[in-house]
Amino acid sequence: MNAHTGKHTADATTVEEGLAIAEAQDRQYNDEMATETAMSNTLLTPRFYTTDFDELDAIDVSPVRAEWDKLIDQMQADPNKGHFKKNEDWDHVDWEGMDPALKKEFIDFLISSCTAEFSGCVLYKEMKRRGNNKDITQLFQLMARDEARHAGFINDALREAGLRVNLGFLTQKKKYTYFRPKFIYYATYLSEKIGYARYITIYRHLEANPEHRFHPIFKWFREWCNDEFSHGEAFALLMKTDPKLTSGKNVYWIKFFLTAVYATMYVRDHQRPAFHKALGVDPDWYAHEVFTKTSTLTKQIFPITLDIESPKWQPLLEKLQKANVDLDAARKQGGPMGFVKRLSAQARAGTAFVRLVLIPSKSHKVPENVRLEPAY
Amino acid sequence: MGWLTKDIERAPCTVEVSHCFESLHAHVRFNNGAVIHPGDEVKVHGPEIMAPFGEVVSEEREATIVRASKLEQLWTRLTGDFEVMELCEFSFSEEVTL
Repeated sequence: MNAHTGKHTADATTVEEGLAIAEAQDRQYNDEMATETAMSNTLLTPRFYTTDFDELDAIDVSPVRAEWDKLIDQMQADPNKGHFKKNEDWDHVDWEGMDPALKKEFIDFLISSCTAEFSGCVLYKEMKRRGNNKDITQLFQLMARDEARHAGFINDALREAGLRVNLGFLTQKKKYTYFRPKFIYYATYLSEKIGYARYITIYRHLEANPEHRFHPIFKWFREWCNDEFSHGEAFALLMKTDPKLTSGKNVYWIKFFLTAVYATMYVRDHQRPAFHKALGVDPDWYAHEVFTKTSTLTKQIFPITLDIESPKWQPLLEKLQKANVDLDAARKQGGPMGFVKRLSAQARAGTAFVRLVLIPSKSHKVPENVRLEPAY
Repeated sequence: MGWLTKDIERAPCTVEVSHCFESLHAHVRFNNGAVIHPGDEVKVHGPEIMAPFGEVVSEEREATIVRASKLEQLWTRLTGDFEVMELCEFSFSEEVTL
C-alpha cells in the first residue's frame, strides 16, 4: 500500500514512458490519499506517568556490572534491527472474508497491543529524559526504541485493515499519575516476561499447526518476544541491584503482582473466544502453558512462584472469570436489579481473587547469576 | 504551590510525532525545562498533530501546565499505585464483549 515500487520518471528513456510513469505515480498517490480519508480512526489512548526519578538516579548497577554491560551491548548491537520489515513472508490477508467475530477480536488485539507498545515507549522515554544516571537513561532509551518499532509494525497491520491511528491525545488535557519505582519494576518485569511466554507459545503452536495462522503478523512473534525477553532481563538486573526489592514484605507485593497478572490474563483471554478458536488454541491449555513458562523464568529473580498446580487454582480462576462476565451483564442491565447483581458479582470476583492470593506459594532459592537466554 | 491552590503555567514545547513503519512514537518536550509532577495536567494548544504515514514531524507549540495543589500531589502519590496494573500488557482490551 505504501511502497512506491516500479520505475521512477528519471528511469524513463522516452517522453511517453516518462509521462506514463508519472501518471501511474499520480494514480497511486491518489489511491493512497483516498485510502487515508476512507480509513476509520483509531484513537490511541496512552496514559501518562511520573515516578520518583531521584530514586531511579540512585540505582547503582555496580553489583551486576558485568551482566549489565553484556545486556546493554547486546541491545545496542540491535540484532532485530531490520527484522520488522514486511517481506515475502507477509502474505495476503483476506480481511473481507474474515469471520466478523474474529475480525473484531483480532483488531482489538492489534489496537491493544499497539497502545501498549506506544504507552511503553512514552513511559521509557520519560524515564530516559528525566534521569541523570547514564546506565539507566541508556537502558530506557533502548527500550523506548524497541517499543516504538513494535508499535510501527503493528500500526502497519492496522493500516492494512483500514484503520488509522489517531494521536489526538497529544492535544488533549493529560493528567499525570504516579507510580512508585518498585511497582514499575514488578509490573513491567512481569509484563515483559509473560509477554514473551505468550508470544513464544503461540509462535511454537503455529509452527506446528501453520493452517491456523490466519494473519502473517504471527510469523514475527519470535523476534518481537525476544525484545520483550531482553527488557525483562534488564528489569531483573535492576531488581538484583537492591536485594530489599525481592525480600521481606516485598515478597507479598511480588505475590500480589504475580496473582494479579496471571488472573487478568486468564480473564482477558477467555473474553476472546473467536481469536483463540481461529488459532486452534484452547485458552485453558494456553493459560497453563504460559503460567508454567513464566513461573520458570521468574525464578531468576523472584523468591516465590505461584502454585498453579494446586487443585484450588483453576476452579478459582474460572469463578473469577464467571464473576467478571456477570458483572458486565449487570452493568449493561442497569436499574435496581442490575445494581444488586453488580454488587454480588463484585463480591464474588473479590473473594475469588483473595482466595487465589491465599493459595500458599512455592519458595525457592534465587540463583547468583540472574541472566537467562530465551530458550522456549 | 499552596495546599489547595493550583498554579497555571504556560510553557513552549516541541512535539515530535513519528508515523513511520520503523517507529510510531510521539513525544512532548518542554523547551524551558519545565518538569511535570504527580497530579499535574498538561494541555498542548493548537490543532491536532499527526504526521502523514512515513514521516516524522516536529512542531513548536505552547502548552499549559496546571500544577496540582500540594494536597492533590500528595493524594496522587498515595493512590496512583492502585492503577499500576495499567503498565501490564494483556494483548486485549478489558471489554468483556466486543
